[in-house]
Amino acid sequence: MKNIIIAILVLSATNIAFAGGPWPQPKGKAYIKLSEWWTIFDEHFTDNGGIDPNLTSGIFNTTVYVEYGLTNRLTTVVNAPIFSRSIMNTQRSGTTNDIIVPGEGINSIGDIDLALKYALTKPGSNIPVSVSLTLGIPTGVSSAGQFGSLQTGDGEFNQYIKIDAGKSFQLGSTPSYVSVYAGVNNRTQDFSEEFRTGAEFGVGLGKGKFWLAGKLNIIESFRNGGNVVSANSTGIFANNSESLILGVDANYYITDKFGISAGYADIITGKIIAAAPSYSVGVFLDLAR
Amino acid sequence: MKKLIFAFAAIAFLSSCIGDDFLEDRVDPVLRITGSIDTLEINTTFQLEFRFLNNVGAPETVDVIWLTSDNSVATVSNTGLITGVGVGDVVVSGEYTTSEGIFVSDEIAFSVGMTTAVEEEEEEEEEIQTRTGRIETTTFYTLEGDFTMSVVDDVLTIEIAEDWAASSGLPGLFVYLSNNRNSIANALEISEVTTFRGAHSFTVEGVGLDDYSHLLYFCKPFNVKVGDGAIQ
Repeated sequence: MKNIIIAILVLSATNIAFAGGPWPQPKGKAYIKLSEWWTIFDEHFTDNGGIDPNLTSGIFNTTVYVEYGLTNRLTTVVNAPIFSRSIMNTQRSGTTNDIIVPGEGINSIGDIDLALKYALTKPGSNIPVSVSLTLGIPTGVSSAGQFGSLQTGDGEFNQYIKIDAGKSFQLGSTPSYVSVYAGVNNRTQDFSEEFRTGAEFGVGLGKGKFWLAGKLNIIESFRNGGNVVSANSTGIFANNSESLILGVDANYYITDKFGISAGYADIITGKIIAAAPSYSVGVFLDLAR
Repeated sequence: MKKLIFAFAAIAFLSSCIGDDFLEDRVDPVLRITGSIDTLEINTTFQLEFRFLNNVGAPETVDVIWLTSDNSVATVSNTGLITGVGVGDVVVSGEYTTSEGIFVSDEIAFSVGMTTAVEEEEEEEEEIQTRTGRIETTTFYTLEGDFTMSVVDDVLTIEIAEDWAASSGLPGLFVYLSNNRNSIANALEISEVTTFRGAHSFTVEGVGLDDYSHLLYFCKPFNVKVGDGAIQ
């Protein structure tokens, strides 16, 4: 179940990008987003896909996301949870109200993702394609609390390579886009590697001021890792989290460059992952417009 | 920008307070007279002991009312001290009514005769007495197997049978002895589980066969029950 939190942390990273996709930032331009992402769950998917209850837990990430165009084809991306809080509720007797297990919480920085995205196609291409390498730096706390079950990071170094492709088009008179991606996440510390894929479809309403996007994200484990033993001997946990998540993001440009965003994502099916929706709200600055 | 980041962080911190989860842990209170006697020698005494487990299965000291079925055979004091006063058969019972108005009782039947017979049969039984049960999952995780408990030389041995199977994906799986099938609040932690297939055993010193009602399996880091087995 410890892996559940790790999986959630991964999902928080995949839920961030209104920017992104195969489109690089123009040279010297940037997209900056400050967001709050959170999930609270009292159920989880087990290793065979069933849903079981658990002590109510939550993770809250305040994240800065930046895309910056180093050249017209090379973009650097930083996804930094600058404040991450992980909690577990107090468990009380329903009969006597006595505390059975005291609640706990930790605050720290989360795991930071650093990425380079390179456009394989020329800027303005009809079907842009890009490849990217993301390095997941284990700057968060991988084990804390009385039983080591509080985490703001997974404690391992990710190397995630993916390819993105997309297309912008007009749906009637409505600007729209669709993008897909696929990649492999190589993980250290005996964690299983992962195959990730997904798709996104967005439409720009109100003359492009209001963008609504539907998202699909899938993670499949290669199940080639070992049983990872936590450093503080709280136990052995499988690390083969899998998920199929659908989400929706809404982004509204208040001015030409500044906007607000809100997101919702829910897990449809999974293994060893929280069975609860996640939410996000944020503000962004789109300097490429 | 700094103010904005601070505001977001403050919102995150304030909205993420640690709440309370309530565990349904009510059980029926139980009063057990511990120890037994078959025959009490006339004009001698025998001290009864008892154990009361409250509505969450926790041991609690209470004032038990002691009663005898025949004062001409045996008397019992308000502390449970039996005195044999005449030859015959008798039943001594202990009663208690909880603050919630729940009545619990237990009793022992014995004879008053010319000699006291306590040890002989008990010792014979100790050599062979066992209790059994079957562990079953209470979740979607795999967890099942038969078990047998026995006590030899004040050491309780819990033998988990060859049919034992548990999901190795369970983190921090621990086994407990408890008098509440839903809670480890007053339970005895036996060991972390490191065998996920096949027979194995646990030993515990100073625990009797009748001290606990259930074997519990909990994911300790998340305090989630995974399975249990009633001790028959």
